Amino acid sequence: MNSISRFVSSSLTVAEMEARKIRHDSTELWTRLVQPALWLLVFGEVFTSIRGITQGNYTYIQFITPGVLAQSVLFVAIFYGITVVWERDVGILNKLLSTPSPRSSIIVGKALAAGVRGVFQAIMIFALALIIGVNLRFDILDVLGVFVVIVAFAMCFSSLSMILASFLKTRDRMMGIGQAITMPLFFASNAIYPLSLMPAWLQTVSLFNPLSYVVDAVRAMILTGDYSNLALDAAVLGGFTLLFLGVASISIRRIIE
Amino acid sequence: MTAIEVTNLVKTYPPDVRAVDGVSFAVDDGEIFGLLGPNGAGKTTIIKMIMGLTKPTSGSIKICNLDAFSSSSQVRQLMGYVPQAISADGDLTGYENLLIFSKLFYVQKKDRDSRIKEALQEMELTERANDLVKHYSGGMMRRLEIGEAVVSRPRVLFLDEPSIGLDPSSKRQVWAHIKRLNKELKMTVFITTHDMAEADELCDRIAIMNHGRFVVAGTPAELKRSVGGDMLSVKLSAQAGASLPEDIGKVVHSTDGSIDILTANGETAIPRIVGFYEQSGLHVLSMSLNKPSLDDVFLKYTKVRIEEAESLSQARQARRSFMRHAG
Repeated sequence: MNSISRFVSSSLTVAEMEARKIRHDSTELWTRLVQPALWLLVFGEVFTSIRGITQGNYTYIQFITPGVLAQSVLFVAIFYGITVVWERDVGILNKLLSTPSPRSSIIVGKALAAGVRGVFQAIMIFALALIIGVNLRFDILDVLGVFVVIVAFAMCFSSLSMILASFLKTRDRMMGIGQAITMPLFFASNAIYPLSLMPAWLQTVSLFNPLSYVVDAVRAMILTGDYSNLALDAAVLGGFTLLFLGVASISIRRIIE
Repeated sequence: MTAIEVTNLVKTYPPDVRAVDGVSFAVDDGEIFGLLGPNGAGKTTIIKMIMGLTKPTSGSIKICNLDAFSSSSQVRQLMGYVPQAISADGDLTGYENLLIFSKLFYVQKKDRDSRIKEALQEMELTERANDLVKHYSGGMMRRLEIGEAVVSRPRVLFLDEPSIGLDPSSKRQVWAHIKRLNKELKMTVFITTHDMAEADELCDRIAIMNHGRFVVAGTPAELKRSVGGDMLSVKLSAQAGASLPEDIGKVVHSTDGSIDILTANGETAIPRIVGFYEQSGLHVLSMSLNKPSLDDVFLKYTKVRIEEAESLSQARQARRSFMRHAG
């Protein structure tokens, strides 16, 4: 095997570990559905009925479905570093890093694993949206496109989480930092209100927020069908993902020292 | 051929803890080599440096004549590692653990199934192969981890305290498996332990370590011979002076009323020792004769019993962690 196929094979193997774990125990997937369900069923329905925020011809619940989807994947990803800290504590990480598989392939595999969880999350939210009758475009290519974006997005923030884990090193601190950054990321994005409603300074901030690009891409594909920003969205997301993956591959050694 | 060659290995932690303090050794192909010492002596740090998990402050490591730092991925292909903490993934089945591991070691697809099957059989886990590992006993988890070596076939297998926390019968089982890997699959084995019986039972050669340094190395028989005689443990009715007439034996250790005496011939020394203490007005409450063990070797070269060395190092660690939290 050449080095590229070894790299790919190891990454897929680490992701396979995660998929197998989900097969054995899917409780976490279901509990993680509670929060997005509340956003859609309570927040979405209420704001739809008062017609406080409208965007184009879409109802509010249509508008926030992509946002809620992205948010729930963000939660999975941003706390992924906790899993890595736990695996360090019990020795699984040491074991993985002592195999001949390149360190960066383990990181990519871990990030992909977060992507696997993200995809399950997306499927469940799609199902929920269908059940409560949110009108979305369900074109097969668009849905596949959403999955690609979701995987990249989960990889992006799970590697950021692994970077944080390699500096913070304990589960408690990771919980703290996760809580501290998710809400600001969420509110400083176009997830639950359009950028045009934000004060100018927040609009500027949101330009540097990868979540805005993710929500924009998902919204384009399953709601508006307006692909004009899609290339930019993909470029920004791809750039952040590669950057964080690279840094995480280097910083991971700090966590086992 | 030399399987492991370590030269002048040093690891310091800030501010000035020398966890490993200039250690050099070589392990021959096919040997079972044991690193024996109390907790905190630096054994795990040495293994972690060899496995590339911790960067040495200085020194060099060669595995099968390959430099461990410049060709790390090649070197890791040659090594197997069973860490001290149970590292099998509890959320996967035994079979899945072996499967994932075989893939990360790039075991060829055609060999994968047969090796996994062999590993499960060897480690007597075939019946439990599809159960989640978190439902295994400690001994079964340990066997599964050793089974990973059957799958990946390393040239050198590193085991960090392989039988820690296991009951005596699981311990014996684990030892038998390690010996079999060494004999049948011709693996060089490097173990660390603080269990004298384990070192004695398994190892062809032993190095004793204390405070980050090697104290002495040799075969168990050589080391025991070097103690130079039999050990008598005497309990007295009261504290006695630490000296004995030279022709009876030498006091090597004394706490409260119990004294350890090293003597050339234990059997003939017993009546003379009793006589000596009775003359000084003390009663001998009990006496036991021990042929030299590795415990005595440790005692001779470090001047403390291994349990004492451990409680000292634990106290030191507790103090250090307390200071870290307070500071």
